[in-house]
Amino acid sequence: MYKYLLCWRYLRTRYIALASVISVMLGVATMIVVNAVMAGFAEKMRDRLHGVLADVVVESYALEGFNNSEEVMARIEDLVGDQLIAMAPTMETPGILRFRIGSESITRPVQVIGVRPMERAKTGDFAEHLFDDKGNPIAPSFEVPEALRSQSPAGMRLKEIENEPDDAFTRAMAEQLKQQAQEQVPEHGALVGYAIATFHRGNGLPDQFLTPPGTKVHLVFPKHGKIPEPGYDEFTVIGYFKSGMSEYDSTHVYVPLEQLQRARLLVDEEGRGAVNQIQLKVKPGVDIDRMAETLQLDLEKLRPMYFRVATWEQMQGPLLAAVAIEQSILNILLFFIIAVAGFGILAIFSMIVVEKTRDIGIMKALGASTAGVRNIFLGYGLLLGAVGSGVGMVGGLLFVHYINEIEKALSVILRRKVFDDSIYYFDRIPTLVEPYTLVAIVVGALLIAVGASIWPARRAAKMHPVKALRFE
Amino acid sequence: MTSHIAVGGLFKSYRRGKIEVPVLRGVDVEAARGELVAIIGASGSGKSTLLHILGLLDGPDAGEVRLGARRIDSLADRQRDALRNRTFGFIFQFYHLLPELSALENVMMPHLIRHGFFSYMKNRREIRRDAAEMLERVGLGHRMTHKPSELSGGEMQRAAIARALVGHPEVLLADEPTGNLDAATGQGVLDLLRDLNRERGLTMMLVTHDQQIANQADRVVRLAEGRIEEWAPALV
Repeated sequence: MYKYLLCWRYLRTRYIALASVISVMLGVATMIVVNAVMAGFAEKMRDRLHGVLADVVVESYALEGFNNSEEVMARIEDLVGDQLIAMAPTMETPGILRFRIGSESITRPVQVIGVRPMERAKTGDFAEHLFDDKGNPIAPSFEVPEALRSQSPAGMRLKEIENEPDDAFTRAMAEQLKQQAQEQVPEHGALVGYAIATFHRGNGLPDQFLTPPGTKVHLVFPKHGKIPEPGYDEFTVIGYFKSGMSEYDSTHVYVPLEQLQRARLLVDEEGRGAVNQIQLKVKPGVDIDRMAETLQLDLEKLRPMYFRVATWEQMQGPLLAAVAIEQSILNILLFFIIAVAGFGILAIFSMIVVEKTRDIGIMKALGASTAGVRNIFLGYGLLLGAVGSGVGMVGGLLFVHYINEIEKALSVILRRKVFDDSIYYFDRIPTLVEPYTLVAIVVGALLIAVGASIWPARRAAKMHPVKALRFE
Repeated sequence: MTSHIAVGGLFKSYRRGKIEVPVLRGVDVEAARGELVAIIGASGSGKSTLLHILGLLDGPDAGEVRLGARRIDSLADRQRDALRNRTFGFIFQFYHLLPELSALENVMMPHLIRHGFFSYMKNRREIRRDAAEMLERVGLGHRMTHKPSELSGGEMQRAAIARALVGHPEVLLADEPTGNLDAATGQGVLDLLRDLNRERGLTMMLVTHDQQIANQADRVVRLAEGRIEEWAPALV
């Protein structure tokens, strides 16, 4: 019983020892905050990656794709249809986007993705990422609204002559203007990545649209053939794709699948358009890795060495792995902080043992055992570690909880934005506290505190009672 | 008369660097049950060492310590710890109270060491009552919650006596219990010890360098240069 009493008393009377656990506290708090923020980012990133990519993607190695998509989809349906929610054939090809601003012609390398919007929306968060120029969500469709056409220069002129007398000249003029409006605002719509379509000014200013709705854009892409030649088509910007992943927002351009197939000369004699991807949305709880494996093995029979089946995680493997590696390296480095704190505890404990030499002699004279004396100091170390990691844990969790408020306050003090939401497209710093990580950090800190007190405690326990009593 | 506690043929030396310094050179001392024996000697005569060996705080190089008929210096550590806790009570010249604890907690210490957590929780009322009664007995009933730093020398020594006796030991070992006190306070402490000795039938070994104090014992043993010099019956 005396061990508990003395541990408790030492804790309450030795403030110098409490100072030694400040580093434990800071280490624990830092690790909790860093892990929460990194896990939050990783989680958000996974969410977004997963939102843009379907659960499982069946793709062909060839750029021309395959015309028998119906057959492939039927085969998939046969095999794993009961585990699927939706399928969407897609044609994805590299290309160049060109548009004009005044007399300037601007080109961007892009990924042209031909989709059927309603089908694509069912296989992932496609519809959730579509916005108009005011930031309002729009429906997944490539329909060019008539309003856009009437706002084109020819359309405006057409409106002006509506009230003029209905004669042959006006009719001819109207016909001419209608044709011009058709040229100025092409028939097929395109959904352009937000980062392609806008210029980010920063400093809290709104983003400036380079291609406002109704802009005519030109797409250049390889046509089907032994030696790919450039194909060319025009589209009208009707909305923007904004997923929050800059990699996608700065490259993706969505266009109607059938139009892309025609423009790329990918429609065969039977009228079947080719696709090079089939995106699958899987029911919750299904093991997608196993499904990918099953499909891969089966599609080999259909056409060997032609299909590649990958889960969304496999497709973004390097990116996800990079985040995981960053997190583990950071954890190792931060753990050194707590290890340093351990040496602080060791030093201060050694001092306390010297200071308490006579008390140790007294306790032994009163019948305390060697193990008992050792346990006083081990218990004291554990208690210090518990206080340090406990306060650190509470502090860390509070920091994580109020991280956005703290960020705002820091931004005011430092007069610059600490967390620039335009870089990450998050309006708040994402955090995620994983209970397992929390437990691991706290237990690790406790082990270090106890580990650091082993040596001083053993020294105290081995002390000869007579020498300890005579210690001045 | 059979001895309650006895040492026989005791040799002990300390190393100071490379030189071996003999402290006890064949000492035989014994005390009957209830007897108060004073061990007197100049400083460096080995009287404190003798007391430490008697109380199992130190081991002899040769010779033996007996409690009744049982040899106790060769026991295992655990048994020696238990004997120090239950059978012996120690009083030191510099009181040696634990500075972080109150007078009452200091007095409870032998019980706190004896009992584990659950056993203490079960008996905590009696333990506190025992300690409080003991403090009352030594005249410190009004000082229970004071820290040692808030007590006078005489009060600290009284608290130390209460601590030594609270566990109902059979043998009390006192090392210059009045050495750090003025004459009047010292006499008060001695009277208290004498009373307790009579009251409880305690066997006492009292080490001192003061003939005046030794004279109040039942029997005086003089120690000089590590040997017993003379056996003197008490004058009173």
